[in-house]
Amino acid sequence: MSRIDEILSLVKHVQPFPKVVQRVMELLDDPETDAKALAEVIQYDQVITANVLKICNAAYFGLPRKVSSLNEALVIVGHDTLKDVIVTSSSARFYKGAVGDGYKLEQGELWRHSVATAILAKHMVKYIQGVDPGVAYTVGLLHDIGKRFLSTFVADDFKQIMIKVVKDQCSFVEAEKELLGIDHAELGGIILKKWEFPEEMQLAVLQHHDPDALKKEPLTALISLSNALVISMGIGVGADGLATKLQGEGLRRFGITPANLDLCMANLLEEMERAQELFHL
Amino acid sequence: MKIVVGISDMKVSNQPDDVLITYSLGSCIGVVLWDPVAKVGGLLHYMLPDSSLDKEKAQDKPFMFADSGIPLLFKETYKYGAVKNRLIVKVVGGSQIMDNAGIFNIGKRNHAVLRKMFWKNNIMIAKEDVGGTGNRTVSLEIGTGITRLKVSGRGEFEL
Repeated sequence: MSRIDEILSLVKHVQPFPKVVQRVMELLDDPETDAKALAEVIQYDQVITANVLKICNAAYFGLPRKVSSLNEALVIVGHDTLKDVIVTSSSARFYKGAVGDGYKLEQGELWRHSVATAILAKHMVKYIQGVDPGVAYTVGLLHDIGKRFLSTFVADDFKQIMIKVVKDQCSFVEAEKELLGIDHAELGGIILKKWEFPEEMQLAVLQHHDPDALKKEPLTALISLSNALVISMGIGVGADGLATKLQGEGLRRFGITPANLDLCMANLLEEMERAQELFHL
Repeated sequence: MKIVVGISDMKVSNQPDDVLITYSLGSCIGVVLWDPVAKVGGLLHYMLPDSSLDKEKAQDKPFMFADSGIPLLFKETYKYGAVKNRLIVKVVGGSQIMDNAGIFNIGKRNHAVLRKMFWKNNIMIAKEDVGGTGNRTVSLEIGTGITRLKVSGRGEFEL
């Protein structure tokens, strides 16, 4: 079996993204949906039920008082926040353990990077028209999911990949593609397809390291930009370092200035302090 | 004792057994100070060049910015008996992602402000490892002044 076949056959065995999430998302898209209907769907997933309460009480979501029951949580947090809470708790399971080893990421760092990108993407929606904040948050959480599954293959070829990055001055993903036949962004796109996420989300994950991402669909541009800033801040960055390409002139179409970027990074740092509890899911 | 310096954070020590360390400097810059006589060391990890971006934040988190963080780092080492002209100054970090237009040149801007401030205040840099696309971790042994740098793609070495 060729290397790439080996990698792709691994994807066949990726556990499904919790089905309950899709059901809940559908329900939440209808503003008439009440807490009771939601609770009925959520209660079957014990991990999500436990996490919803835990996350609702995290300082990040800033609820006025402590929630103690699922019903109460659903009433208090509101539809939009609840979507984020559910997708956060459902995604966390895929980032447990030494998932970023191949990239020399300490345990928990890939998740921290993902949460940071999600939070930043949601905030940057104000600069990039036409993206739903909930979608931005979800794609932010999942944009590097390919790393989780490519990690062991990266570990096998680590030396050659690093040599290529240093010698050819190429980006880490270019070296992944060259040596493994597929890079983590491509693999992530395939996984999101398998999980039946909408096409625009698959595409944003697939293209998040495309140097011209800022000229593409708004969601793709938003995720590539958020990822680039989180990488610049050094949050959850491994051996790949800052060796990623993104042509910044694409920002002009959104009217985003370097000062805007600085301010977003400064704000993110504070948000991250509030989101601490989310990292320990 | 290992003392971790986070993003937008600063630590100073005169305990010989202490090691100050900051992980994952991307575009951020780490400034390492050490006085070989007083055996005092300090480490700053700042993220952005200019505190005028947000005065309120600068008040709350002065170590986030070069212009507010660097003077505080020096002053804090003086409190422990360090003397300006004895201080050995090392500067690391300031990487940036690959962008031909230079829009994401946060690292370069971070470094430019530091150089300007040091030039104005007659501060010499003893060692520097700045720029590129590597991710850096730097540590300082207070007792010996040994500074270790780890850069992705280049391994770990003494600076």
